Amino acid sequence: MLDKMPEDTIPNGFVQNSVIAGSNNPPNTAAKKKRNLPGTPDPEAEVIALSPKTLMATNRFLCEICGKGFQRDQNLQLHRRGHNLPWKLKQRTSKEVRKRVYVCPEKTCVHHHPSRALGDLTGIKKHFCRKHGEKKWKCEKCSKRYAVQSDWKAHSKTCGTREYKCDCGTVFSRRDSFITHRAFCDALAEETARVNAASSMNSLANGSISYHFMGTPLGPSVAQHFSSIFKPIPGGGADETIDQTRQGLSLWMAPGSQGHETVGSNLTEIQQLGSVSSEAMYGDHPPPSDYHFNWVFGNNKQSSNNAAEAPAIVSASLPFTDVKEAAATASHHHQLVSVNVPSLYSSQQQQTTTHQTQAAAAAANMSATALLQKAAQIGSASTDPSLFLGSLGFKCSSNINQVQDGNKYCGLMYCSNAITDRHLGNDVEISSASDISSLSQLQMPPPAKRRHLQSDRQAESAGGQTRDFLGVGVQAISCHPSSINGWI
Amino acid sequence: MDITLFSPKGTHSHHFFSLSNQQLQQSNGDQIALDMQTNNNNNIQPQNSCHTSTSRSSDSGEPCADTTGGNKWASKLLKECARAISDKDSSKIHHLLWMLNELASPYGDCDQKLASYFLQALFCKATESGQRCYKTLTSVAEKSHSFDSARKLILKFQEVSPWTTFGHVASNGAILEALDGETKLHIIDMSNTLCTQWPTLLEALATRNDETPHLKLTVVVTVSLVRLVMKEIGQRMEKFARLMGVPFEFKVITGLNRLVELTKETLGVKEDEAVAVNCIGALRRVAVEERGAVIQMFQSLKPKVVTIVEEEADLTSSRYDFVKCFEECLRFYTLYFEMLEESFVPTSNERLMLERECSRDIVRVLACDDDNNSSNNGNGDREEEECERRERGSQWAEKLKEAAFSPVGFSDDVVDDVKALLKRYRAGWGLVLPQGDDNTSGIYLTWKEEPVVWASAWKP
Repeated sequence: MLDKMPEDTIPNGFVQNSVIAGSNNPPNTAAKKKRNLPGTPDPEAEVIALSPKTLMATNRFLCEICGKGFQRDQNLQLHRRGHNLPWKLKQRTSKEVRKRVYVCPEKTCVHHHPSRALGDLTGIKKHFCRKHGEKKWKCEKCSKRYAVQSDWKAHSKTCGTREYKCDCGTVFSRRDSFITHRAFCDALAEETARVNAASSMNSLANGSISYHFMGTPLGPSVAQHFSSIFKPIPGGGADETIDQTRQGLSLWMAPGSQGHETVGSNLTEIQQLGSVSSEAMYGDHPPPSDYHFNWVFGNNKQSSNNAAEAPAIVSASLPFTDVKEAAATASHHHQLVSVNVPSLYSSQQQQTTTHQTQAAAAAANMSATALLQKAAQIGSASTDPSLFLGSLGFKCSSNINQVQDGNKYCGLMYCSNAITDRHLGNDVEISSASDISSLSQLQMPPPAKRRHLQSDRQAESAGGQTRDFLGVGVQAISCHPSSINGWI
Repeated sequence: MDITLFSPKGTHSHHFFSLSNQQLQQSNGDQIALDMQTNNNNNIQPQNSCHTSTSRSSDSGEPCADTTGGNKWASKLLKECARAISDKDSSKIHHLLWMLNELASPYGDCDQKLASYFLQALFCKATESGQRCYKTLTSVAEKSHSFDSARKLILKFQEVSPWTTFGHVASNGAILEALDGETKLHIIDMSNTLCTQWPTLLEALATRNDETPHLKLTVVVTVSLVRLVMKEIGQRMEKFARLMGVPFEFKVITGLNRLVELTKETLGVKEDEAVAVNCIGALRRVAVEERGAVIQMFQSLKPKVVTIVEEEADLTSSRYDFVKCFEECLRFYTLYFEMLEESFVPTSNERLMLERECSRDIVRVLACDDDNNSSNNGNGDREEEECERRERGSQWAEKLKEAAFSPVGFSDDVVDDVKALLKRYRAGWGLVLPQGDDNTSGIYLTWKEEPVVWASAWKP
């Protein structure tokens, strides 16, 4: 039993590191001092139940002179100095502070029970507002409504900047036209005919349901539940900005099959707190055997989902056992991370130069082990795989922040390029060819092997990080131009 | 080529007529000179207008949105011609048709295009060859029509203009709200927008609820061109629904001449289903006398909601008054053509297709009167599709109220969605909400302040 480990004070109560057994312990069991998953509090913590009024109250501390309200007592005290009133700043008490966790006052809510209390006051406030509050904030552009102002702000930043790209290469700035296009796109027709793997997606509505589908190879009857993925991250303003593109089907052909290429799957990008949405990009283009179910979606529905709930877990099942394992590992690792992790595979076995295709950038979260496994497997099965895989994998796993920023950058970069070309409000159809060609210039693939090795090395070194990205795809590369130089 | 007006002519119904110069000069020479002078003040001469040439040139690139009334030579000439036809003033008709013929071009600017297409209709009216012309135009269109071309056309149109998407968004919003919580949905879709309305609805069904309901979509097709591609569309819809994870059933009803013949049985409506009737631009294709009956038929389906979207023009109440009808038709299509011109790029093929579609509609409305039906056809066959006679929203609203439907207002969320939709397009589009007056149920899409499309929702 781990005891007496110094408690990390994480105001967010967010779990960044891998958690050991973080499950639901009733509050009264013996101490396990560690950081907990949101909604699975430290059993020894003091449970505080605030009333709705208190939770919603923004400025509870009022100055008696001018009536100005403050959120915290400390702030009020500082303000009182200005009135020449006696003030006192309370020091943090020297005795051990008991960790506090908060329950949601709403009886029907899952966080009402102490065993699912949230560790952070700001978190519980936001949760309550979001889930049970009135949606007073409205996005101008897309008319989505939000209860929490910070959610709304964060959304407004990204609203309209998101790009949706169809398999056929066309890019859309509007989600609705993307959806309509998708329904009629030829790429869809081809692909559903050969679907043989399922992707799982998070259900929007709950934000925490993960569907796990097993597809039969060559069977077109896989139904996928499609929804945006969001990953609610409570606390610290991270809320709404998580955008993830969804992971689509990855279509796999049997490794031994001739001339077939595996198709990358959609990558879900995990978005960091505060970062702008990025999208999974994939290239298209394929020789007829290539098809995909790439679907990128924005986080439109995120806000309605509770941020504070456990992250949805996405796992994709793929027909290959080794891949599955990797996937399982990946998803397992991620389980504890508050990020949606699709196990994403993109292996490209394209003979054509379209390594940019598929593999959308950085979306999958995969542990270093999984990454290596995959790389190995791909390396053995294909001719030119890891080039892509490796390079991106490396990039993404080496430095989370960088990647995340990179994703952001990518997304922005991509978006901004598109945006400048665009008519106001109209979608732009960017020819896939031009995308690919411009991107390929960035990518200058060095010999596959070299990259592969490099990636392995890097991937290994990245082992301690919580987020490993399988960055495959153009986007990651283009996100790090300096790194590219380094690479090349 | 000699044309005598007011008698059926067998051979050249769809050619514009042209008179030899001699003929003109002999008969109308003086008149022309006179007319030119008198008409000077009215800016009939194209040289005075903003357009650059009188010949069939490529478009000047200037949108013809001069709605101040100054330079719209086409409108004036056309109206005069219509009046002349109504008055049966042979020589004037002759002369005006000739002038229009000289000035018009389907590849020119707005005025030239309007002149061209309306000239065609006027000619057909004058020569009573409307049916034939229409048939020819339609068969030409059918030859080049395919799933790909239709899809490309409508998607492009929706990308540049909210003309159709306005109705879609409003209707989908109303349908989703009315059928919220139901597990078995049945939507009867009477529209000709190739099911472009449904992907977003499917996505909403898949994502906004915990439990995705089962959706059955029955499409009733009234336009022959659409009928050709429905099979392919159905397949796409099914695939897409599978992708979305929505249990889906798709059915198309064709071979039906008249909407009024539909029944609960033919549509396959079951007792346990929650029915929504979605009517986009379909009511105007119903014969005027049958419209009340069709609305009654909707009632018999016991729907939870009926969404009606129609274009705002009145070509029905004036159908016996040619000039009035003509003027209204011209007004509406002027708006439409201007809208097209401003929304698409100048070299757009899609716009050309849409304009041609309009030209067929214009010919049909103006030159295919019921009286002519039997005389020209000879065998008295009913036209497959009724003449498209639009009515204004308020007129439809009255009919619906008579059938005991009551209006359902669009909720704030839906209105917000519509507003957000309009923001995504170029400037010029607006939204008009009902003022609380009973007659104005439904919302209007406006183009440059003119209402053009009306969307409404009704419950039994």
